Amino acid sequence: MLKLKAIDINYGDIQALWEISLRVEEGELVAIVGSNGAGKSTILKTISGLIRPRNGSVEFEGKRIDGLAPDRIVRAGISMVPEGRELFPRMSVRENLEMGATYIGRARAQAARSLEHVHELFPVLAQRAGQLAGTLSGGEQQMVAIGRALMAKPRILIMDEPSLGLAPLMVEEVFRAARTVNREGVTVILVEQNVRQSLKFAHRGYVLENGRIVMEGTGKELSENRHVKEAYLGL
Amino acid sequence: MDWPSFFQSIANGVLIAGLYASVTLGLTLVLGVMGIVNFAHGELVMLGAYSTFWLFTMLGIDPLLSIAITAPLLFLVGIFVYRFTIRPILKDPPLNQLLLTLGLSIFLQNLAMILWKTDSRSVITSYSGMSLHLGMVHVGATRLITFAISVALTAVLIVFLHKMRLGKAMRAVSENNTGSWLVGINVQKTYMLAFGVACALAGVSGSLVSTIMYTYPMVGFKLSLKAFCILILGGLGNISGALLGSLVLGLTESFVGTYVPEGSGWAEGISFFLIIVVLIIKPTGLAGTRRE
Ligand SMILES: Nc1ncnc2c1ncn2[C@@H]1O[C@H](COP(=O)(O)OP(=O)(O)OP(=O)(O)O)[C@@H](O)[C@H]1O
Ligand SMILES: [Mg+2]
Repeated sequence: MLKLKAIDINYGDIQALWEISLRVEEGELVAIVGSNGAGKSTILKTISGLIRPRNGSVEFEGKRIDGLAPDRIVRAGISMVPEGRELFPRMSVRENLEMGATYIGRARAQAARSLEHVHELFPVLAQRAGQLAGTLSGGEQQMVAIGRALMAKPRILIMDEPSLGLAPLMVEEVFRAARTVNREGVTVILVEQNVRQSLKFAHRGYVLENGRIVMEGTGKELSENRHVKEAYLGL
Repeated sequence: MDWPSFFQSIANGVLIAGLYASVTLGLTLVLGVMGIVNFAHGELVMLGAYSTFWLFTMLGIDPLLSIAITAPLLFLVGIFVYRFTIRPILKDPPLNQLLLTLGLSIFLQNLAMILWKTDSRSVITSYSGMSLHLGMVHVGATRLITFAISVALTAVLIVFLHKMRLGKAMRAVSENNTGSWLVGINVQKTYMLAFGVACALAGVSGSLVSTIMYTYPMVGFKLSLKAFCILILGGLGNISGALLGSLVLGLTESFVGTYVPEGSGWAEGISFFLIIVVLIIKPTGLAGTRRE
């Protein structure tokens, strides 16, 4: 469904990604794990069009999407929950969610139903509908960011460290949401530093170190791998 | 106390505030959405005023009806200006952007001087001399009409920004660029249209200006300075601040003009004085909010 082939990314003179190749099949939940600065966000930004690769290609359902602007990529069916959430702080929770569907034709027609669905997933957002997004707690903001991405009715949902900075209970909730969404048929790519949790949930995973993919396997394989255990699970 | 002249001052101040607000709205829109201070905004107003003047003198089109021409005309001018001057410098440091719009402002002033000389032109319609008596005050018909149009314009802009898809996109872009891209907004295109809409607003303001002020190459510059004073008074980049700032400036000018000896001379310069006072006392503007 989604294929990255030999992607190189540079920030100025510094190369951040080296020949990244990965694939995601329809219906999968794929985790990309790695430590700070490994290049996880850079991969996701490349997929969503926020940065353009120097070399390599991104294919979505057989068509190249690298080089498309991010708005075109969302419309093609790939939504991202970005690092830092990137909400509209002076709009209400409800408006933030609605914005997720407003600029995508097929999602706009179903906005009311999608909103209900998001409220089922995160009931607290229904209670907070009128509150300005900028005044929410970190966890609630994360829910709005996930909800906003879902409002676009994506085929692929990309999440960049959704559990970052959240209390354990919230982390649970976010992972639970990711799995629910995936079971409903949305393909999910999850970037996490919370390696244990994400490998437990993921069908497959990639381990990223210093801008290169060093390992690939099923969630189970990776969590039992010696290197992963030592480097990421502290065992 | 001389009540009639007191109320007259209030009426004059409020009425002129409407015009100031209409000039400031476009400036606020560009600042809010693109983060660019457009020093050439006043010159776009000036172009709107000249367009109205020529439409009136050459084709006999009523200055208020000519809004239907100046708005789309200036919209197109705006798209052109954006495409060839603003877009290339969007990612540049603020100082470069500032110098570019300042340069554009000076260029347009000089262009106007070359094309139309420095003469002061005025648009005199059949209703220019009319005035209405409302209790103790009397107000000119054109002032009242320009005020009403400014109020309507503001209302339309607010509805546009909150209810229309494109308007919401402009608000979204003003709040978060990356977030906007990620919900499927073409941020570049939104910039272009916001600039176009701001210029269309300048076109309308220009038509209004031509009915109550002289039209000459520097008229936009004069209005720009007032608009900057209003921005600083109201806090940068929000509409309610722009409206509040317009009222404060309009009323201050009007009261200084009436009550200070030699006041009409002072009134013109009062905007600078207000800028300095506000920056010293309350740098976030009277409304207390400022774009980060
Ligand atoms: N805009 C940028 N300009 C320059 N260098 C950057 C930029 N963004 C990222 N980098 C560098 O690229 C490398 C990869 O960054 P990236 O944000 O992809 O890492 P990450 O794996 O997401 O890290 P984290 O877990 O901390 O979010 C880092 O060395 C980072 O310093
Ligand atoms: Mg990151």
